[in-house]
Amino acid sequence: MTALDGSGSMLSLRGVCKRFGKLEVLRGVDLEVRKGEVVCVLGPSGSGKSTLLRCLNLLEPPEEGDIHLEGRSICRGPGSGSGEQSWELDFVRQRVGIVFQQFNLFPHKTALENVTLAQEKVLGRSAAEARENGRRLLERVGLSDKLDEYPERLSGGQQQRVAIARALAMDPHVMLFDEVTSALDPELVKEVLDVMRELAAEGMTMIVVTHEIGFAREVADRVVFMDEGGIVEEGPPADVLASPREERTKKFLGLVLER
Amino acid sequence: MEEFLKQFFDVGFMADHFGEVLDGFWITTQLAVLSGVLALIWGLILATLRQLPGKTFLPVRFLTIAYIDVFRGIPLLMLILLIAGGIPALEFLPESLRLPQWFGKPDNFWFGVLAITITYGAYMAEVYRAGIESVPPGQMEAARSLGMGHGQAMRSVILPQAVRKVIAPLLNDFVALTKDTTLVSFIALNEVTLVASDIQSETFNSSALTLGALMFLAVTLPLARLVDKLIAREQSRFTRGAPRVEAL
Repeated sequence: MTALDGSGSMLSLRGVCKRFGKLEVLRGVDLEVRKGEVVCVLGPSGSGKSTLLRCLNLLEPPEEGDIHLEGRSICRGPGSGSGEQSWELDFVRQRVGIVFQQFNLFPHKTALENVTLAQEKVLGRSAAEARENGRRLLERVGLSDKLDEYPERLSGGQQQRVAIARALAMDPHVMLFDEVTSALDPELVKEVLDVMRELAAEGMTMIVVTHEIGFAREVADRVVFMDEGGIVEEGPPADVLASPREERTKKFLGLVLER
Repeated sequence: MEEFLKQFFDVGFMADHFGEVLDGFWITTQLAVLSGVLALIWGLILATLRQLPGKTFLPVRFLTIAYIDVFRGIPLLMLILLIAGGIPALEFLPESLRLPQWFGKPDNFWFGVLAITITYGAYMAEVYRAGIESVPPGQMEAARSLGMGHGQAMRSVILPQAVRKVIAPLLNDFVALTKDTTLVSFIALNEVTLVASDIQSETFNSSALTLGALMFLAVTLPLARLVDKLIAREQSRFTRGAPRVEAL
């Protein structure tokens, strides 16, 4: 499962559609993600980027289309096709980690407890094992001195790194990042991106929704540009970011890079 | 003026009847604490049922909401009379349920506990609900995305935060419940109100009732102060310190 072993498919989406009432948020998205690949998803607000991620871990199950995770279809279930429920919820949640824009740390738990809670409750690890693992992960994201702090005592960047450690504690095969630096003060962005760079270098499969063009250029194996619920253009960052083919991509990149 | 004081605040009279009134208040206390604890638990169960997700649990949610609406809308006194007069007449029930005498307490004590728990469980369910709904939806999503089931996420993540936020309003309901135990005097439970009003009708002196009221104040006033303290503490959590703003 290293970056070299790039032939295996990790995620495969076919015609994924998602509606909220009458609003069509995703209109038939096809996407392949190989093991160890880092895919950055760019696009204007409301283009469906976040919803795409939330479909992938079934927080918002799609109404149409199918998603294969490590070769297994994950969209079948009692409410199949209605966006209700999947039989494969446990299979998915054990393999797909997500980090949110608003961190969503548990405020009544310390940094370490945030990282150990699901290890004990979901994976059934012993308290000692979970703590050991939690310590190691918090050290890895540079927070070994904050183990016993509550989230409200941490900066946004620190909170987001705890959230990354919390997701990693479940030993995910894929990590989803949903605009994880958008709620941060500018000087705190780098510390979070650095952690993500390291993860990518270690061969983690990552899908990153972001507005950080520099990060995408540097770290992504592939860039996907979305607009109005569909994929407009995708390819290596050098191609898509430097010489986009589509008008909409050009326009968006022009607006973003102008800043 | 002297007549007024003698009618309501006759200290010697109070001293003479102190033991009887206190015995009544002891029953009141037992009734309040037992019903209070049961209502807290029952309310939490109702609030949890009301939050069950998905189409499968629609009937459960509907029934729970109906229960809460109905029993918040019925006067407690009527419920007490319905239960105390009705249940003993249900021949198909075994005698231990029709006329419960558990733990040496008379049946009207248990009918009171039942009625108060039913009513205040509904009130407290609404308080819990407010607490649950005040927890940001991102908390449930984060817990679910880590692989926790709905129940597990409720227990470990949502309820601990929700309950902390509603301890003060729950205590408020408990104060109201304590005062409403007096209604059980209508079914002849010799709690403080009945004891004191019997003394009043025998002696034409109201001081025993005043004494009972003072006993209530001895309990409810400290509780009211405690509620104020808890509310102040909860509010300061959200106004003190700048990092909080970013965290929200």
